[in-house]
Amino acid sequence: MHQATLMGQCAADDAACSRRHPVAPIAIGARFHPEVEAEIAGTTVPNLRLESAAPDILAVDGDALVAKQAGASAVLISTDDGSVVDFIHVWAAPITRISLARRDGDRLSGAVGLAIGEDLTIAPALWNGAQKLTGDADLAWTSSNPNAIEILRDGSTDRRRLRARAPGKTTLTVAFGDEKTTLDVEVVP
Amino acid sequence: MRPESEDRHLLGLVWGAIAVAIILALTACNPTLTVESPAPPGRTARVDEVRGFWGLQSYRMEVTAGVAVAMTCEQARPCEHMKLISDNPEIAEVRPASLSLLKASAATYTTYHDQQTAAALVVIGKHPGKTTIRVTAEEGHREIAVEVVAAPQTAAR
Repeated sequence: MHQATLMGQCAADDAACSRRHPVAPIAIGARFHPEVEAEIAGTTVPNLRLESAAPDILAVDGDALVAKQAGASAVLISTDDGSVVDFIHVWAAPITRISLARRDGDRLSGAVGLAIGEDLTIAPALWNGAQKLTGDADLAWTSSNPNAIEILRDGSTDRRRLRARAPGKTTLTVAFGDEKTTLDVEVVP
Repeated sequence: MRPESEDRHLLGLVWGAIAVAIILALTACNPTLTVESPAPPGRTARVDEVRGFWGLQSYRMEVTAGVAVAMTCEQARPCEHMKLISDNPEIAEVRPASLSLLKASAATYTTYHDQQTAAALVVIGKHPGKTTIRVTAEEGHREIAVEVVAAPQTAAR
């Protein structure tokens, strides 16, 4: 129908934003906050709302799509009176891997060294095999040595800012359900 | 003078011809439906014509649960005053749709070039099962025998 589609809500300069990928499957357990983009001939865009064809796979919860189980569901983009302007089939997939990246998109793996007072913003990405998933998942961030680094929120639901506090080594663990990834961090004076 | 039985036979043929003409006219007057959207990978969204001796009788649709199919309704021109009913919306739902497209009407003796906004509908497979969708318009009516099939099992990981 090619009149409307769903886009992720990402800042233009935020290369690591996983919500940038509206065409990717949504990670099960994650929430995707879409923005409806429409171009309808001869009219400005009317008020549009979203509905899921299969709420057991993909639920619409307020302004978010919530992936419930693996599969696909049509997301209908309709006017207030129920007339369908467009629809898009959205997939949901389980997370099999978590990766970490700097805010500029550079992948982080192995170990990172920080000087005291230095900050490092980390953006996680969710994967199913080689397929990057989209959506905000409620990840658990823990440090084996909380004295060495402090894990700070930066206003984003998925990113965290590490602040080096005291010399020492720590292991940062980022987990979602059974999936987790770790990053060794050494803080030097 | 012809015998009475021959008259009766002739009358029967005339009535038969009239009945055929009426059936053909009724069949020809009903609108046609055209699929306007593809199925997603690994899912079904297929519509086929059901044809009989008198031509197009109805449609049959196979659609996977969770999949939507866009269609347009035409009979020489986009259907007018289209009404949509699903016998069981729990199995398959049907909604009016807006394609914001103009479709050309067939030329008649009164109009040579004419365009109207496309009359569109969306069928949504909800749960596995069978139901009928009824499309009624000024141009006639069509039935779609819908079978919603379960989505293939996806591996947990």
